[in-house]
Parts: sequence; structure tokens; C-alpha cells
Amino acid sequence: MSKIILIGSPNSGKSLLFNRLTGLQQKVANFPGITVDVATGKLAALPEVTLIDFPGTYSLQPISGEEQVAADYFRSALDDPEVTQVFCLIDITRLEKSLYFTLQVIRECERHGKQVLVLANMMDVLDKHGIEVDLAGLAREIKAPLLPISARSGQGVDALLAKVKENLANGKKGIDAGIAATPDAILRGTAHQVAGKYGPKGDLLVKTQTRLDSFFLHTGAGGFAFFAIMFLLFQSIFTWAAPAMDAVEAVLGATADLVVPLIGNQTAKDFTSDAIFSGIGAFLVFVPQIFVLTFIIGILEDSGYMARAALICHKPLRLFGLTGKSFIPMLSGVACAIPGIYAARSIDSPKKRLLTYMAIPLMPCSARLPVYTLLIAAFIPNTTALGGLVGWQGLAMFLTYFFGMLVGLLVTGLVSRSREDHYTDLPFVLEMPPYRVPAWQPLIRNAWNRCKHFVTKAGTIILSVTIIIWVLGYFPNHGADLGASWLGSFGHFIEPVFAPLGLDWRYGVAIMTSFLAREVFVGTLGAMFGIEGADENMVPLVDQIQASGLEAASGVALLVFFAIALMCVSTLAILGKESGSHKLAIKMFAAYGAMAYGGAVLTYQLVSVFTG
Amino acid sequence: MSTSLWSLQTGDRGQITGFDTALADNYRVRLMELGFHPGELVTCLQAPAFGAPKVFRVANTIFSLDDEVAAHIAIELVSA
Repeated sequence: MSKIILIGSPNSGKSLLFNRLTGLQQKVANFPGITVDVATGKLAALPEVTLIDFPGTYSLQPISGEEQVAADYFRSALDDPEVTQVFCLIDITRLEKSLYFTLQVIRECERHGKQVLVLANMMDVLDKHGIEVDLAGLAREIKAPLLPISARSGQGVDALLAKVKENLANGKKGIDAGIAATPDAILRGTAHQVAGKYGPKGDLLVKTQTRLDSFFLHTGAGGFAFFAIMFLLFQSIFTWAAPAMDAVEAVLGATADLVVPLIGNQTAKDFTSDAIFSGIGAFLVFVPQIFVLTFIIGILEDSGYMARAALICHKPLRLFGLTGKSFIPMLSGVACAIPGIYAARSIDSPKKRLLTYMAIPLMPCSARLPVYTLLIAAFIPNTTALGGLVGWQGLAMFLTYFFGMLVGLLVTGLVSRSREDHYTDLPFVLEMPPYRVPAWQPLIRNAWNRCKHFVTKAGTIILSVTIIIWVLGYFPNHGADLGASWLGSFGHFIEPVFAPLGLDWRYGVAIMTSFLAREVFVGTLGAMFGIEGADENMVPLVDQIQASGLEAASGVALLVFFAIALMCVSTLAILGKESGSHKLAIKMFAAYGAMAYGGAVLTYQLVSVFTG
Repeated sequence: MSTSLWSLQTGDRGQITGFDTALADNYRVRLMELGFHPGELVTCLQAPAFGAPKVFRVANTIFSLDDEVAAHIAIELVSA
């Protein structure tokens, strides 16, 4: 078995080449220590050779802890005797940014006795503009074999495969470029000089890009385009994923209807229907959203627009310790935190990514909507002010949404200021890649891989928690009365905790079950009040809550509690997996729980003063 | 005239003369890796409103830099 490492700077077309060379034979694994995928695949034309796709980086001289991990991992991979060759991909149209990194890779390969092949990608772009580059001269200067290719058109791929075969046949002699002992500073100077001499000249290559940037970064037109694109993105998560989410639920429901009647024992029947199928449904329902959002973010990244969107949002978000790249994950979080947390992968600064993780669960996700709707319908009068212009319920909904966002930004603003020195960070130097038509296949594969990651990594945790809560709510009276279950007893036990909010044990139980998903609060509360199907029709439950004499202050306190609390096992599971730190997920759960509780108590006291 | 890269407006060009000491060493190294070498010509392609990061061209590559970085890159203005 022979392995080849594929490495290159960001935006050099690496994923496209990897996809072209490996076809469907791919596996994706998480990069150890950081949230970057490493894809491996067998070469379609040479199945005995495995290609390893390394994360794109500008330099092997790291300036952040995360870059250090990537650089160390590359060096340790070169120690693997099965790794015989390294493909170093450069964007020939932008030689300056790739060449220093290329020389570093050549030096490492020389030190480790590996063969290296420099691949000059984007030859189709040069050909299109009729620009010629002295590739033979460039190869002489860097003292490494260089092949012209186009990952997009496939030009040069046959020659590349022929070269791989030739290298394999010739044995394992490493490259001799005479730079094994050359320090970085000298390499940097050489790269600068060689890029100046051989890089493509003239304005031709950047003309189209500059013209499009004049539109997309224009104060008026660019702002409008930004809102239109973000609106589409938001719509895609909410609307386009909805039919697929309904289909997932329908298929699961139909399967449950088929399977459950075949089970004889009533407890086993209830367990299969309410714990297993509900548990599976609880995480499968997120898959369409994750797929759609990953796919659309892929389009934005591949087309080059993502960098422009990050630029537009950077300044206002910087105030709160975030970066322009935090905007899309946070916007996604307004639909659902899980795809939002995945979307945060595109943030290269570890510090900013951590802060974005902190903000996402405070965005008013769609699972909060039924809870807000119930509480607002129950406690806020359905009347209007200013001659019918402002409805109090609508205003309350807006304020609750806005409150969550505000708390999210305040948290990141405060944390970023208090932890300034604890992290090394990356500067805001963002490459503006050329605008391109996205290549669909890798995007679909990436979205598929992301869904697989979610189901395999978070699925078991979500299912386990569903089963635990089901057991607590079902026994000892076999589901006859939730109030008399272990969960109900626990609710009575912790009633004093909710007393400062003016809430009785029934609300405590509903809050505990909402850990599965916030909207479960409505169904559970319905069950506690003896109302079937409260999650479908809230009106009887609203009447019951009002009739129970619960104070308005308690309702507003609950709104504050749900706006802040991280009551979502799926979010916590994926937060732990993506950040690589379960401790972070636990800390955030505890901190937001304490904040939510403290905020709710304070709100209850304040509102009580006004409402008497 | 000596000024900082951040002061350039759309269409302005400058030649990098150095980095001021307030810029962290690792930032300076990264900028040089990307092509921002002393002596290099930089063109400001976009200077969006509201203090958003500006867009600069160096060699054939285009980067966006915010004021926290660009204000520490010293340049000599080059007349068009």
C-alpha cells in the first residue's frame, strides 16, 4: 500500500482535485485535535494508492495553536514509511501566496526523503486569458518536478497519474532540492523573488473580480445583495428543509405504525414507540437542515461570496469579539443551533470560533418558537396600542427574539475582553478568492459527510438521553400518569428550586423534559394539565394555564429562562464533538443555566413589583 | 508621502516601507508569507463604507485587511 499526501494553500482547488482523483472512494475523518476534516480516498485509476487530503494552510510556520497541530501532523505523516510522495498544489494564477509554502513543503520532503510533485493548478484560467508562464523555468528555480494541471477541466490529470506510476516504479528516492537546511527567512525571500520573476503579469486575472467586487461590496447594491443572499440562506433552512423534515417524521411514523403492533408486551410496545422511535426521530429530523445548510454554505464558499459576506459583517461583529465569519453560523442558529455549530467550522481563528460557539445557542432557534407562542398567548394580552399599529403579543415576541440575540452578543463581548491574553489569534487578513461557478459534486459529498458525522457522533447521545427521560416518565406506573412517575416525584422534590419563579412542580417537570428539545415543554405541560395534543393545538392549554392562576410575572420569567438556557441535548452533543471539548459543552450548559435561572428570578421579582 | 496602508482609498497605490512595532511578530511574518513584503506595491481596490475592512491587491492576489492590521503597515504613497 502506498500513500500520497495532497497539500496546498487555501483556495488552490485542492478539494476539486481530490474529488477528481478519487471519485467515490472517499472517507472523511476528523483531524485530531482540531475541527478540520481529513479526507482519504483511493486513486480511481490506481486503487493501490491512497490519497490523503490535508487541510489548506498558507505556511508551515504556525502562528496559532491550531496551525501548529496541522503542521506537526504533516511532519509526522512524512515519517510514515507508506507515504512515498507529496502533491503540493499551487494556484499558478496567484503564485506569490503559494510559493513560500511550496518551498517549505519541498524542504520538509527533502528532510524526510520523500518525493514531491508540484502541481500548477488553474492552467485553464491562464489559457482562457491567453497568459503564458515559464513553467520549465519555475521548476528549475524551485528544483522540483512541476506539472501543469486543471482540477476543474481535468487537463494534465493523465500526465499526473503517469508520473505517479513512474515514481512508484522508481522506488522511494526522495527529492534533492538542496534546501534541507535553509531557514524560513531565506525561503521567504526566494519565494518572493521567484514569484516576482515567474508569476503571471498584468491586470487581466483580477479585472473581473474587481468589477464584481465593486458591486458586491458597494454600500447600496452590495448591502442589498447581502440581505437577499442571507434571506435565501435563512429560507433554505426554514422552508426548503421543511418538506424533507416532514418526510423523515412521516417515514419514521409509518415504520413505527408497522413495527409497534407486532410487539406483544405493552411496556416493550411503549418503549419502542415512545423511546426508540422518538429518540431516532429526535436526531434524524435535523439531518435535512444540516444537509441544506452545509450545501448552501459550500456554494457561498466555493463561489467566493463567503469572503465578501465576512468582510461586510466584520466591523459590527468585531465590537463583540467576533469576526465577519461568525455571521452565517449565528444566522443559521436562528433556525437551529446544530447546523450553526457546524457552519462555525469555516472560522479559521480558534478564539473567534469558540466565541461563535458561545453565541449560537443564544440565538432564538425555531424550537423556542412554540414555547414563546404558548407563554405569550397565556400571559400577554391580545390587544393593540397606537391605534392598532402595535400588537402587544407581537411586540413581546419581537423583544424575546431580540433579547436572546442581545444576550449572545453581550456574552461574547464580555468573554472576549476578559480573555484577551489567553489565546494566540489570527489577524484579519482574508484572501478574496476569485468568483467561480461552484463544482456541485464535492459540495453534495461534503453535505452528505456532514450528515453522517452528525448521525454517528450525536445520534447515540441523543437516543440515550431520550431513553433515560422516557424511563423516568414511564415508571413505576407504566405511563398512566406523568405526575405520579419518577420524573413527577423528582419534579415535586425540586419544586423549591422553581418556587422563586412562582412556578409549581408541573412546570419543573416540563422544563426537565424540554432538555430533549425545547418544544417538548409544550407537550409535557399539556400532559400535566391532562390535555392531549397540546403541541398541535395550544388553545386549551393556554386556557388551562390562565385558569390555573399563574402570575404574569412567572410567564415573563419563563420567557427569559428559555431565551437563555441551553436546554437542548442535541446542541450540547454536537457542541462537545465539534469543539473537541465536552468540558466546554458542560461549562456552557452550567453557565447559561445559572444565567437563565438568575435572569428569570430577577425578572419575576421586577415584574411582580409592577403587576402587584 | 509616508502613511499607513489603512489610509489608502479606492484606486490609491502605495509601496510598503515596513511594519510598525505595534504589529505582533507573528502577524508580520504571516503578512510577508502572503506577499506583503517591504518594497512591494499595494493597490487599494475597495474601501467600503462604515470602516469595513478594505480590499488590497498585492501581486496577483487580493486580500481584505481590517484597520487593526492595515494601520500598522507603513507605506509610501505612489502617484497614479
